[in-house]
Amino acid sequence: MDGRLANRWRLTVNEKKFIETALASNLRIDGRNPLEYRKIIIKFGREDGSSEVQLGQTHVMGFVTGQLVQPYQDRQNEGMLLIFTEFSPMADPSFDPGHPGEYAVELGRIVDRGLRDSRAVDTESLCVLSGKLVWAIRIDLHIVDNGGNLIDAANIAALAALLTFRRPECTLGGDDGQEVIVHPPEEREPLPLIVHHLPVAITFAFLGSEGKLVVDPTHSEEAVMAGRLIATVNANGDICAIQKAGGEGVPQSAIMHCLQLASMCAISITKKINSAVEAYSTERALRKIKRHPTVAGNVSVAGSDVKEQNKTVEQVGGSELSRHHIERLKVVSEETCSSRSNDNDGDIKSSEQGGTSRGESKAMNFLGGPSNWYGASTFQYFF
Amino acid sequence: MEYKSSGSPVTYVDNLVVPGDVVVDLSSMTNQTIKLGGGLRQDCDAISVMKAGKLRFTKPNKYWVETSQKRYVPCVEDSVLGIVVDSKSDNFLIDIKGPALAFLPVLAFEGGTRRNIPKFEAGTLLYVRVVKANPGMNPELSCTDASGKAAEFGALKDGYMFECSTGLSRMLLSSPTCPVLEALGKKLSFEIAVGLNGRVWVNSNSPSIVIIVANAIMNSESLSGVQQKIMAEKLLQKVQND
Repeated sequence: MDGRLANRWRLTVNEKKFIETALASNLRIDGRNPLEYRKIIIKFGREDGSSEVQLGQTHVMGFVTGQLVQPYQDRQNEGMLLIFTEFSPMADPSFDPGHPGEYAVELGRIVDRGLRDSRAVDTESLCVLSGKLVWAIRIDLHIVDNGGNLIDAANIAALAALLTFRRPECTLGGDDGQEVIVHPPEEREPLPLIVHHLPVAITFAFLGSEGKLVVDPTHSEEAVMAGRLIATVNANGDICAIQKAGGEGVPQSAIMHCLQLASMCAISITKKINSAVEAYSTERALRKIKRHPTVAGNVSVAGSDVKEQNKTVEQVGGSELSRHHIERLKVVSEETCSSRSNDNDGDIKSSEQGGTSRGESKAMNFLGGPSNWYGASTFQYFF
Repeated sequence: MEYKSSGSPVTYVDNLVVPGDVVVDLSSMTNQTIKLGGGLRQDCDAISVMKAGKLRFTKPNKYWVETSQKRYVPCVEDSVLGIVVDSKSDNFLIDIKGPALAFLPVLAFEGGTRRNIPKFEAGTLLYVRVVKANPGMNPELSCTDASGKAAEFGALKDGYMFECSTGLSRMLLSSPTCPVLEALGKKLSFEIAVGLNGRVWVNSNSPSIVIIVANAIMNSESLSGVQQKIMAEKLLQKVQND
């Protein structure tokens, strides 16, 4: 017997009938009203830019990381915003490991559209050197458990992670003002992203033949529903995106009703996100991370090219903390500078005190490594 | 790995064990037959644990490890709730949350003959008994008890089915009656069918009672007996006030 056939989650006739009959008397299987949202729990990891959202049984984790990259040719002054989803078969046996399913793509697109089209994240402030170097902000959404309404939970996780993410400060220096200095976190406090507003996705499901409206459908309600509408709105009542894909047709009046309900929900969810982020920020400020500057003597071997640089870092820093990474690279690059002076970018002299200084081409080389995202735990894979 | 030379298995019985624990040492128990259930295996003279859970023992000689998990490992004589997936000429294919679909022979009903084969559409909920569970084979089910009577087995009409962990469904079936069911049963009238595979079916006259019972059961997953009683009573009070 095909293993996948056995693993698929199935809905019984009994459940389908019960959900519909109970809803006829305004009851839902988890005891909610049709227009009641489940309880949202927002938690944060130790690292900046990581969040964990629980919506009933649904559980989603969000990670935000940043990387310096070359911008798109047509948007030279704008940073990038990338969204990746990870649907683990642990969350739901029907999720295929490997290639993303239709639902995974839809979820990523809705979160992406909500954030990008409404210009919620200020991408222009992510530009470091026009046309040469910008920050690419990557949002990873991991589905840990599927209890229905993954889209709303993933969207909240993305927003919460974006609000707590800090990127290292960058300044331009050098003789020609074209050298990028990435300040390590122990030297200058990392900067938060500029988030103008919070586009919150609210999912509505239409159940039964007469299209009874429910907010925040659970897993089994999602299996029964005839149609679904996702409205992305912010606390100011602006509509950022609407998604109504397939299923039962919905009259205009129902859509207007949904949008009104959505903006009410959005206000309360925005409040919840903001208070959770505030609590995290105060805790973070109190935590007072002790940052020790790296001892330069650690680096004894200087490589002759960039690949060697990475190797050196590996040799020295294998067991060390990731935040020393930038500092150490600086020392290495300083030393390599002298040996590289016959290379194409011989104009680079030495770095400013305490900062990591690289020419653009070098910076690009550095970024060509397998993984050098700043921020979350991704760092560990590198070492 | 450290080898624990534990003499008597009594110290482990009803306690939590983790993979690698050696619970029984056969070298100290000569001339005895013991029977091993799920989660245990024999390495020469040592009986070691393969999954985390509670070690259980029944007289005279049965040992097994009880775990709580989302998936079900079929076991002979378990009564389970299955969902009809497909019907073939000889068998119904039933989903019992196991690693493979189970077969329910079309003749495995009381007085079943070729002429009166029942018709089940896909998605029908059945209360069935596992009769064969061999590794590498699809499990086989039956809708009759050992003596060929229909007993309580068969299709369940209406009501609501929800899924829980296998540990919770075992708790609901334990005797004396699980506190949450007792507390609910005093105030409400409802029908319940618990499958050992982590599926529970509840039926009642009004949908609100079904919802209360279902939620009370789902909430009692990690509660102790006293807590369950308090939770169920609070829930009932809240509902009566509304």
